[in-house]
Amino acid sequence: MIAAVKEFANRFLGRGDATITVPSFDGALKPNQKLESAETLLTCNAPEDLATDGRNLFVADGQRLMCLNGGATSVVRSFERPISALCALPGGGLALALGGREVRLYPSPSAVEPSVTFADAAFNAVNALALTDDNTLIATDGSTTCGVDDWARDLMELNRTGRVFRLDPGNKTVTPLAGGLGYAFGACARGDAMLVSESWRHRLVLVAPGASPRIVLRHLPVYPSRLSKASGGGYWLTAFTARTQLVEFVLREPAYRRRMMAEIDPEYWVAPRLRSGISFKEPMQGAHIKTMGVIKPWAPPRSYGLVIRLDADGQPLYSLHSRVDGANHGIVAAIEMGDDLVLIAKGPGRVLRLPLTGLAEEFRP
Amino acid sequence: MSEIVLSLRKATKLYAGVPAIEAVDFDLRRGEIHALVGENGAGKSTLTKVMAGVVTLTSGAMTVDGADVAPKTPLEARNLGIAMVFQENSLVPTMTVAQNLFLGQEKFYNRLRGIYIAAQQFLQSLNFDVTPTATVGGLGAAKKQMVEIARAVLHRAKVIIFDEPTASLTPEEKKYFFDLVRDLKKRGVSIVFISHALEEALLLADRITVLRDGKHVVTDDAAKFDRTAIVQAMVGRDLSNTLYGRRKSSVRPVGARVLTVQNLKMAPMVKNNSLSVFAGQITGVFGLVGAGRTETFKIVAGVLKRDFFHGGEILLHDKPVRYRVPAPAVKAGIAYVTEDRKVEGFFETSSIARNIYLGLLSKFPQRRMMLSRREADAVGKTWIERLKVRTIGDNGKVVELSGGNQQKVVIAKSLVQEPDLIIFDEPTRGVDVGAIVEIHELINRLADEGKAVVVISSYLPEIMALSDRILVSRQGKVVEEFSALEATEERIMYAAIH
Repeated sequence: MIAAVKEFANRFLGRGDATITVPSFDGALKPNQKLESAETLLTCNAPEDLATDGRNLFVADGQRLMCLNGGATSVVRSFERPISALCALPGGGLALALGGREVRLYPSPSAVEPSVTFADAAFNAVNALALTDDNTLIATDGSTTCGVDDWARDLMELNRTGRVFRLDPGNKTVTPLAGGLGYAFGACARGDAMLVSESWRHRLVLVAPGASPRIVLRHLPVYPSRLSKASGGGYWLTAFTARTQLVEFVLREPAYRRRMMAEIDPEYWVAPRLRSGISFKEPMQGAHIKTMGVIKPWAPPRSYGLVIRLDADGQPLYSLHSRVDGANHGIVAAIEMGDDLVLIAKGPGRVLRLPLTGLAEEFRP
Repeated sequence: MSEIVLSLRKATKLYAGVPAIEAVDFDLRRGEIHALVGENGAGKSTLTKVMAGVVTLTSGAMTVDGADVAPKTPLEARNLGIAMVFQENSLVPTMTVAQNLFLGQEKFYNRLRGIYIAAQQFLQSLNFDVTPTATVGGLGAAKKQMVEIARAVLHRAKVIIFDEPTASLTPEEKKYFFDLVRDLKKRGVSIVFISHALEEALLLADRITVLRDGKHVVTDDAAKFDRTAIVQAMVGRDLSNTLYGRRKSSVRPVGARVLTVQNLKMAPMVKNNSLSVFAGQITGVFGLVGAGRTETFKIVAGVLKRDFFHGGEILLHDKPVRYRVPAPAVKAGIAYVTEDRKVEGFFETSSIARNIYLGLLSKFPQRRMMLSRREADAVGKTWIERLKVRTIGDNGKVVELSGGNQQKVVIAKSLVQEPDLIIFDEPTRGVDVGAIVEIHELINRLADEGKAVVVISSYLPEIMALSDRILVSRQGKVVEEFSALEATEERIMYAAIH
């Protein structure tokens, strides 16, 4: 009863859970347009994840596994289902998740048969794989009810069913490490524990065996996704889009969401998107104005491009952006390769390359 | 008629055996604007108070129009034609403008209507746009200043002394004030004014006198001075580079986010304001008057309240907070150093130690029944030494201190609470250059210790000298953020205006 009164009061006064606010992009997250200056290495239909063995860059493009070596691009092989995650293994092997439901380990990218296959019935939306120091794999599974491509529905249904698994290729066991996460999307080993992105809770948590997840970074103005290690310590954290007040408002309106999901084409839902500006039917937020063919760069974005450089403690150092008037939106993967940072902008379907030299000096606040 | 309207010879004033001014010679010419500059505690206020009859000389002589005088009260000085306009105006707030003008000059029978008509005519003759029937308490700082000046002129003052006349004025009001002073000069009135804004002294004054440690250093035509020369004369060393001249070559690394403000609203001043403050950095907040900077941070500190409906969100260490009064904010580790120290900063008739101890008391979780004077004295002594507050004895009252030292007491009162987030609102307003350097060093030290520091200032060189990151506020919200390395005065000002 008291909770109901409190909820009513909060909704009336715009307080508590009904405070529809979004943190600002400032400090280390101060906007810039650096991602727009990135070189496009490859344009493909459905880039999803990246991995590198140091010489070759592997790109998951739908069902195809692509390889970039120098200026040459080749299709290594194709699978029966789309690749939802990639991870390079020691000794030139490759781990990949197919359709979010199966994880296969290959001794080499072109090997015909996998050395190990994990097809646990619990897998539903495996979206990221990471290698730990003891050569086991960490897999994040976003949702138990929605598939990897249906993440917007998972958000609109306010699901909190993300999980983290440890996959041991030695004894072929799958061990659940954490559950109840708000769309686990990306992990990276940190000592005995691992950093995990929780997209719908806009935070990073540290998951350690036998302990409750500990929050490392919270109140991000974006939906965080995959993580990778950075040279010199720290991590790269991608964010596939930015939060907006319009989406935050819709997330507090269950009746509206139900009707929207039942009646509207998912492409035009009031939900985060990986690209925008395609159709006049797209929902807009106040101030999101397009004049003379140009969207105001400070307008609330429907899609956004962002990668954040974190320090070893998981705190932001600086960030690289593609704002509302840019094209390189929907950054879902970022890894270092040599002196470059290679990224996937899933919105336009591009694999991008940015030289790392001078980035920290240029953008550190 | 002599050209010298007022002069002091070997003027000395001792307080408890300590000289506030010592053997000072001073001449004021007829119809000149004479600026008095010096560090806090240099003796400027004492010298002018001697002229205005507020204090009497211990030794030395004073002459007005060549005649030896020794005014013992402000009334005696006024009868000699000397009036002083104090920094904190001496008007009665509950009385009307006209009543204040004629206060002390009442006749046996006074017709209110007659007073209003006379006041109206007089104010019009001075070209002052002030309604004589308005209550003084409802007037702005500039209009109160006008009434003070009008009263001085009405009393046929031939010498008017201004103590920090522009400290509380907006840029537009300052311009109006300067025109007024020049107009008074044309009427043959001699003006003495104390100002810590050296540019004002250089702009307005005919001659400048510099005092240091109660002693006369130099008097010369304003045209022969520049800013560097004045500062050097004031402090005895070249401080101009230390103060604002040096550009930042590096900034402190960003620490953990201490404060997050999201879509904060307080009509009509704060509109959807969002910003973050990080540990181990100085976040400078610049904006023109009315940009909502002070109001935003007063809401953070619980001094003001945000809008009742949809007022936005404040997160301290990532946890939502809503303070209705300052006490819980203090306990949570937020300290707000006010821009209006005389009204909100301290109890001026209490001792320095008591004032600092009051800051500590507000940090205690429960109210204390018994207060320890010994503890108060010990705390006071520690902070007086730490912040180098220049005082005559530990039991000195705050009212007896100079502006810069008063500001140090206000800062000590906040720092004694050991806050994580310290908000300095105009930390060096009305403070001399020597104290500015000390306060700036203190602010830098706090950031080096890992505290989250916010500096709100309307003075661009101060913002640029101190800040690691600069937020520009316009029309109630932060509109731009600069790193100290990329900021220029032009870019900041452009963001503040456009």
